Amino acid sequence: MIAHAIETHDMCYRPGPGFELRDVSLKVRQGAIYGFLGPNGAGKTTTIQLLLGLLRPQGGSISVLGRQVPRELPRILGATGYIPERPHLYPFLTVAQAIRFHGAFYRGFDWAYAEELRRGFDLRGEAKLARLSKGEMGKLHVLLVLAQRPELLVLDEPTDGLDPVVRRDVLSALLDFCSQGAATVFISSHLVHELERICDWIGVLDRGRLVAELPMHAFKNGIKRIRLDHPPSLIGDTPFLLVSRQQSALDQVWVVRGWQPTMVQWFQGAGAEVKEIVDLDLEEGFVELLRGARTPTS
Amino acid sequence: MFKQVLVAQWQTSKLAVGLLTLLSFCIPLLAVLYGGDLAGAGRERVGDWLVAADRVAQLLPFIALLVGLLLGTLAWSADLAGRHVYALSLPLPRGLYVSMRFGAGALFATIPGAAMGLSSGIATLAVALPPGIHAYPLELALRFWLASLTVFAIIFAIAGASRRGQVITISVIGAAVTLDVVFLLFGVDYSVTAEALLLLTNWPGPLSLLTGRWALFDV
Repeated sequence: MIAHAIETHDMCYRPGPGFELRDVSLKVRQGAIYGFLGPNGAGKTTTIQLLLGLLRPQGGSISVLGRQVPRELPRILGATGYIPERPHLYPFLTVAQAIRFHGAFYRGFDWAYAEELRRGFDLRGEAKLARLSKGEMGKLHVLLVLAQRPELLVLDEPTDGLDPVVRRDVLSALLDFCSQGAATVFISSHLVHELERICDWIGVLDRGRLVAELPMHAFKNGIKRIRLDHPPSLIGDTPFLLVSRQQSALDQVWVVRGWQPTMVQWFQGAGAEVKEIVDLDLEEGFVELLRGARTPTS
Repeated sequence: MFKQVLVAQWQTSKLAVGLLTLLSFCIPLLAVLYGGDLAGAGRERVGDWLVAADRVAQLLPFIALLVGLLLGTLAWSADLAGRHVYALSLPLPRGLYVSMRFGAGALFATIPGAAMGLSSGIATLAVALPPGIHAYPLELALRFWLASLTVFAIIFAIAGASRRGQVITISVIGAAVTLDVVFLLFGVDYSVTAEALLLLTNWPGPLSLLTGRWALFDV
């Protein structure tokens, strides 16, 4: 059994001036639900298209399910369920035709499960795709990839623009599927709260760079906002990672990663007084992480 | 897999195939519309009739061109709309997918050809030809089919090319036209586009099938 379902080393891609994906080294553990976070335009979709061989990298290496991209692409894609950012199915087909078309390309396509999901999602077989609502189209995409019984699910903003009810249906179906087997899920989103509930590992991409990759619990528990009096002006070696530092009228606010309660002593040793320590939720942590990545601290 | 590609491609091509099949079927019949019984007709009337039939038959290369153009473009229309993302994410070698798309389009291109062959046969049976005049329904249908397929293959290749490939093609055409304009401004009696067209449309150029005389009846 392979350790990582997705592994990239120094992956680089520059489609033109203005944007560049630089030295992206991802490691997605087999069986993980990996949330790929980043603001709009960070390069999430480009990264996914590189992983699936839709684009060719200009540097580095990519391995998916233990196989090299692009050399073993058909085998990789045969075991991967992919939902792209924009609907890509042929709009002139009916739901039943779209299922037949898609299923014909996958050896292990589970026709019975597809039918079960179609009924569960309340999708009419004779409905034309062009007439489906955004929510119905989202459900159809999920149906198709789940019925493939894939080893890896790559989902690019799968719930973007869906109403809360459909979003819940879609996420429930995905989680049900994950609980049945050992599928790895790589899910990209800028909806931080959504990933907080389902992911056990996250990677954060900003401006084409991977700025963090860590287990969800470490991210959630280790990011703190600390309010200080008399903070040290010079920062040498810290037992935590300083993400950002902001001066307010009364005190200074630090955002740190990798925090442990015993680290209060470091501040005391530096002559600072810790006034408050606040846990940041994923969204706040994400925003602070991006802020820190964009304005490096001295 | 091929069946599903065929079904999907049929959805985008069926209207074009239907109209082109109807046109291809009608033209040979139009060519003999006022032919009637020519067995005892005079030389002049037979000559006039042959000229009229030839004029109508000259529409056939344009129909063949249209078949190739439309079916070549429509073969990729669904994938182009989705920026090829669906096709590229399917688990099969890209060459195989392209072959299936090509095969489906080529199959559809045979339908107007078959209709043309059928109506040429009917047209041949509908007229009593005078001695020395022969009908060539099979030959004409084969030529029509090959011409359609050739244009289809060229358009299929251009429409399915990557953006880079399309930019290169358009750039080459643009450069040829620019050169022509420059030659015209400097009074040089040479045209790159005219030479290229001659190369393409004269034997062994791929489009030579479209040029020359298209006749259902001849001596």
